[in-house]
Amino acid sequence: MIDWRARERLVTWVLGAVTVGFLAYQWLPILTMALLSFTGPDGGTTFPMRGVSLFWYRELLRVQSIDDFKPPLGRSLVLALLCSATTAVLAVAAAQAMRARFRGNGIFFYLVLLGVMAPGLLVGFGMGLITRIVGVTPAWYTTTFAVHIVWTLPFGFLTMLAAFNRFDRRLEEAALTLRANPWTAFRRITLPLVLPGVIGAALFGFTLSFDEFARSFFTTGSEQTLPLVIYAQFDRQLQPTLYALGTTTTVVSLLAVGAALALVRLVRRRAVTGP
Amino acid sequence: MANAAEHDVELRGVTKRFGSFVAVRDMSLIVEKGQFVCLLGPSGCGKTTTLRLVAGLEQADGGEIRIAGARVDDTPPWRRDVAMMFQDFALFPHMTVARQVGFGLEMLRRPKEEIRRRVAETLAAFEIGDLADRKPDTLSGGQKQRVALARALITRPRVLLLDEPIGSLDFSLREAVMLELKDVQRRAGISFVWVTHDQNEAFSLGDQVVVMNHARIEQTGTPEEIFERPRTRFVATFIQGHNVLDGTAASAEDGHVTVVTAVGRFVVPVRNGAAPASGAPVSFSIRAELLEDDPGLDHPNRLAATCHAIEYLGSVRRWDLRLADGRSVKLERSGRTRCRLAEGEAVLIGWRVEDGVLHIPAADAA
Amino acid sequence: MSTLRERSPRAYALALPAALWMIGALVLPTVFIGWVSLWTTRTFSVGNPLGFANYAKFFQRPAYVKVLTDTVEQTVLLMVITAILGYAIAYFLAVKVERPTVQLAFFLVLVIPFWTSALIRTIAWIPFLGVTGVINKVLIALRVVDQPVEAFLFSRTGITLAQVSFYTLLAAGPVVYTLRNIPPSLREAAYTLRAAPLAVFRRIVLPLTLPGIVIGQILVFLNVMADFATAQAIGGHKLAYLGNLVILLYDTGQLPFASVIAVLLMAAMLAGVAVLLKVVDIRRLGIS
Repeated sequence: MIDWRARERLVTWVLGAVTVGFLAYQWLPILTMALLSFTGPDGGTTFPMRGVSLFWYRELLRVQSIDDFKPPLGRSLVLALLCSATTAVLAVAAAQAMRARFRGNGIFFYLVLLGVMAPGLLVGFGMGLITRIVGVTPAWYTTTFAVHIVWTLPFGFLTMLAAFNRFDRRLEEAALTLRANPWTAFRRITLPLVLPGVIGAALFGFTLSFDEFARSFFTTGSEQTLPLVIYAQFDRQLQPTLYALGTTTTVVSLLAVGAALALVRLVRRRAVTGP
Repeated sequence: MANAAEHDVELRGVTKRFGSFVAVRDMSLIVEKGQFVCLLGPSGCGKTTTLRLVAGLEQADGGEIRIAGARVDDTPPWRRDVAMMFQDFALFPHMTVARQVGFGLEMLRRPKEEIRRRVAETLAAFEIGDLADRKPDTLSGGQKQRVALARALITRPRVLLLDEPIGSLDFSLREAVMLELKDVQRRAGISFVWVTHDQNEAFSLGDQVVVMNHARIEQTGTPEEIFERPRTRFVATFIQGHNVLDGTAASAEDGHVTVVTAVGRFVVPVRNGAAPASGAPVSFSIRAELLEDDPGLDHPNRLAATCHAIEYLGSVRRWDLRLADGRSVKLERSGRTRCRLAEGEAVLIGWRVEDGVLHIPAADAA
Repeated sequence: MSTLRERSPRAYALALPAALWMIGALVLPTVFIGWVSLWTTRTFSVGNPLGFANYAKFFQRPAYVKVLTDTVEQTVLLMVITAILGYAIAYFLAVKVERPTVQLAFFLVLVIPFWTSALIRTIAWIPFLGVTGVINKVLIALRVVDQPVEAFLFSRTGITLAQVSFYTLLAAGPVVYTLRNIPPSLREAAYTLRAAPLAVFRRIVLPLTLPGIVIGQILVFLNVMADFATAQAIGGHKLAYLGNLVILLYDTGQLPFASVIAVLLMAAMLAGVAVLLKVVDIRRLGIS
């Protein structure tokens, strides 16, 4: 009979191996793509790499007639910023409303959360149907924007709910007893303290929109966002430009996350030491 | 030495480290059959770790642990003949009371009929029969406590280990629960090891009290022994009601030693072992209730002080006296005996020589 | 009392924008899809007569029904794999790793890919699976096979491999949450009640993490059922699931038919929500 301590250790090692194995499994494709993006001008889309260069990155920047990536990239960025701001505002409002426990807030909660459950394909398709039937032209800054918010809002909402949950409402009450009106109390006391949550909601709005394509699929019209352009490449001969693009967008996403985290740390420190 | 199989629990030279921190150092302890032992001490003294070592939830780095005479160092917790009660009760949220209480018996693979019968009996014995189908989140603190107790005792363990079991109960409930638990212990006849930082709990419940500090045992004894004869300086300061004075040993003769302090010279009897060497740092204590405010001339131990404040604590009155060097000394009176000191008054206090208690250094304790 | 009095009209005002948005951009399109799926003519007008003819047509075509069954099969396969894999990873992270810094580090490394585009991660799998891809090169180098295995790219295996890497974390996340909510004293209490580790897992840990498992599985379920990009990128045109079918029909202008499939997907979605509401109350998981 194996010693029980050894058995526990064995279990830990096996589970650990599975976890680390999965980690590698998840990261290797991304890292491989990043590596291959630096392949030389004669390089193909798989190994072996023929030389190391920034050729394909330069290809990205070149103005091309068919596959110019720059305008879609611009559109995706603008859309992401738009979604970021809108998500933050709507999420704060919705979460603040939830604190008041109004009648029907259960239904409201599930209504917002429905956005997470509805697959992008369906929502995009439905919106596409509406635009077709009603006769509205879809565009990335109208219909796509609307559908992106459906997806990002629940995440921002949950983040703000958690932030308000951690917030001590007695601080607000103290402000009210000091003759502040509700709006001032919210602006000067509550908001600065839940700011990390707001930044989180804004971050969700940005990254989720920037990377989103299923919801953009039926709703952008002729001027496409970046993920759609990438998706269109699937039917063509793959080129390392795509890898360069993929690596670039990944870096943008990670930079956004990093910026948000840095901002949160800055805000937290200022909350403690004062403006 | 008594037959080893008579001891319910025995620790010999047990040490436990967490990284570089020593939680329990070279500890030896005996819990006799059917004894109620309280481990008393401040946070971090190692009392909870000791309990967990006996339960098997921690592995000792050195020494031996025996339960009912047999070594259990390599036995996992689920095969030891112990049960444990946790401070947060640790009731299983997804099981009804009946299911929970029967859990231990299920694990012991008892037949269903027997489990059903014993659960019903145990629930009745603890007067929680009407809670059988309830889930823990609908119970009050006192009810949860009874369920936890029933759950632990149904397996008829040799020892019950309790980790600050009444700490999370309302104050008004604690007294009643303490007495109930003492009663249960006496009727069940199994030994209890109770961990607490509360002196009142330890004194009212324990047959034996083990005072711990910094991974070591400072003193083991009955509540009377601990209170009336604290062995080390720590015990005297930790247990309420003692005044501690530090100084240097001067001459020693006739079973007494003279101690020189900043506020005077005092004669203290030597009761444990050899007298301290001349010049050695030494401390002694005198209980607050044994200080006299009108010392006769035959008291060689006299001290000048000023009454700083009087605290009224109900059945006990406490005078806070300041010495010449600013230190505080407490004098207590209870019942009808009075002390006529008023605030601001200067006074001479004294005590009988035999009431002083000399403390041995911690390294020689236990 | 907070800056907002309970049930004050201001609360409704604050909630209104979000509510309207969700209704307009989510509920309305969904209703539309249902309506269009019932159209009985192919013309594009609002006054179309309604009926279930399209549904009948769908179930009569074996090719379409096969797509439906393929999708369900693939979904169930993924659910099983991610449930086991996800639980193993979650258990390791939440229970076996002691130091919080190590826990956080692991967690970050696992979660960071989710902050990147799913599409990009799908693309990244292509150089892995092809005949000249990394997996084949490794297998040949290790002499496991002599010839490159064609079965990875353009096959169900390849799609499954990629989907497992995308969705396992969805299954693991909620389990991590529920595992962390189990106080260590519960497990210890079970040990002192003569339960060996396997019994503790089966009788205490698993039942208490069941809500987490269910939530995770529902997330996986919804995502795999609607997944079309993975099939397209890795399966090429050889394989199609419901999502691909919707797109195909939309592109060829067969809107009512496309709507039928969308409705079937939605029905699955609602069924998932129903299961969820039965097994666990999200709001009691510590959010409200």
